[in-house]
Amino acid sequence: MSPRRILAILAKDLRDAWRDGRILVLLLLPIGVGVFTTIANDQSVPSTGVAIVDQADGAVTRELRSVTGKSAKLVFTRAADAASARALVAKQEVDVAVVVAPAGAPRAEILVAQDASPAGQSIVELVPIALARAAGLEPPARPPVRVVPAADQKPGDIVGSSFDELFSILLFVIFVALMVVPTQTAEELETGTFGALRLAATGREILAAKALAGCVYGVAGVGLTVVLTGLDVSDPPLFYGAAFALIVTLVGFGLLLGLLLPNTSAINTYAGFLIAPLVLVAGAVFTFDSGILAALLDLLPLSQAVKLLADGVSPRQPFGAGPLAWLVIVVWATAGYGLLARIASRREL
Amino acid sequence: MPPAVAVDDLSKHYGDVRALDGVSLAVAPGEIFGLLGPNGAGKSSMIRILTGRARPTAGAAWVLGHEVPRELEAIRGQINLVAETPNVYQRATAMENLELFCRLYGLPRRRAGEVLEHVRLSDVAARKVKTFSTGMRQRLLLARALLNRPRVLFLDEPTRGLDPRSARELHDTVTGLAGEGATIFLTTHDMHEADALCRRVAFLADGRVVALDTPRELKLSLRGGTPAADVVLDDGADLRLALDEPGDAARLHELIGARRVRSIHSREPTLAEVFIALTGRSLEDGPAGEDGER
Repeated sequence: MSPRRILAILAKDLRDAWRDGRILVLLLLPIGVGVFTTIANDQSVPSTGVAIVDQADGAVTRELRSVTGKSAKLVFTRAADAASARALVAKQEVDVAVVVAPAGAPRAEILVAQDASPAGQSIVELVPIALARAAGLEPPARPPVRVVPAADQKPGDIVGSSFDELFSILLFVIFVALMVVPTQTAEELETGTFGALRLAATGREILAAKALAGCVYGVAGVGLTVVLTGLDVSDPPLFYGAAFALIVTLVGFGLLLGLLLPNTSAINTYAGFLIAPLVLVAGAVFTFDSGILAALLDLLPLSQAVKLLADGVSPRQPFGAGPLAWLVIVVWATAGYGLLARIASRREL
Repeated sequence: MPPAVAVDDLSKHYGDVRALDGVSLAVAPGEIFGLLGPNGAGKSSMIRILTGRARPTAGAAWVLGHEVPRELEAIRGQINLVAETPNVYQRATAMENLELFCRLYGLPRRRAGEVLEHVRLSDVAARKVKTFSTGMRQRLLLARALLNRPRVLFLDEPTRGLDPRSARELHDTVTGLAGEGATIFLTTHDMHEADALCRRVAFLADGRVVALDTPRELKLSLRGGTPAADVVLDDGADLRLALDEPGDAARLHELIGARRVRSIHSREPTLAEVFIALTGRSLEDGPAGEDGER
């Protein structure tokens, strides 16, 4: 196989996708869903404004954000001095102001608006802890706090608000693999451009370029979705590795679909019948954790990838998916590409 | 010198349909060869095999001495095809279409500009192909086929849908290429095109070669013992005179002597008539019991 030819076809496919409205919609729709659900979720988190007067390197801001966690969304405003901070609080532009004393000064000051929101009032309680941490001191003594997990907690509960972002990433990969890749392949066969390429490149080179194009869409889309939704990935190697493995596996089956269905209209008609069950499978992973259905789900690459992705998102690793998950994905990927190679060599493209 | 294209007892079956059934022929280097037949005769199947995109069911095919499709890689850069359908990228510009193939063939990008100039598409090089007319798309196909300066150029019904001027330009290009030593393998069901371009033609019907010779010999083979002349007289009257009939021959002499002949043409059968005589079917017919091209 010639890398030069593969890259030439890959570049052509990427450019063509950019110019094809259908493909753009298919690529942008799941990302849009992810961004939309993130924004919707954001509305349910209380937000409060905090003014900071700090001549240091922003350590207080960092620590305050850290101790607050996901309980509130903090919007910081930097103020020049204590008077400016007081003015911001008085005008109710912020709920709280933290005036960090310069080195050698007696102590810090916390200003809170008379009508501060409940979130703002809660932040006031956390400021001393953040100040102590920023100064490298032990936080003020407080009773130990222990998290008690809910009884019979489902993986979906552990993944929590990240579920929506995870779902949009899965939707994106499924769309790329089972709509975008087959549409581009079938269109080439339908219009005869595949035959034109065959004069200058081998069938395997063309299919390799199309598989690569699918992987490029997938990787770019997953990365973009993570950035735009602010998905907090706790184990990046696990998360991105699982996403990549899923993309590679499903793209192989997408290419098969493109070769087997006669034209793009057929893909528009039939791909929905594949996408809907796959989305259900992705959701079912969070519902069935034992029994026959769970065992059947364990045989599928999508469900194993979902488990790995969820483990990568949550530090508590709700599924604890191990080597078996990777093995299932690798077996399916090998089978898919093996079948693709067989069909490509037997069918006169 | 070995033939540029050769097939030996070549067969291609699609299920029960025999698109090609034991075809043997050879095309010399530099020759313009025409494969003629109605839709569904097996012309496109032959082209697909010779360009490495289909495998024969039986028999063998060679291009430039290499068996196809097994040794296609050895000749990939030395052959090209003008396809019957305008299989170009519609959302790309003319230049982008050609630059893609420059990269695939490992050619410098300036070659794309050269061939666009050759087919008179330089002015629209930056325009998307979806805005092109049929003739412009066909010229772009020709430009793409010329990119790698092929030693063997296959043309599959190249003038279908073309206006007369574009068809004539394509014929000039093809003739010029052959003059430079390229071998041209043309499939068509346009007998006038074949007659004008080809040194030799083969008639293909139901997957078999029913005749193979020069156009002149094929026509002479049908004319037999009845040569004739079509005469237009000074008063506008048309006459057809059989030259082997003593009465008609004397009449012709008499008319010429009386200076009453405005024009005179020998009356020869066309290749289309030869085809009908050999196969009992018209070139416009589909294959027996089948529809569509194979």
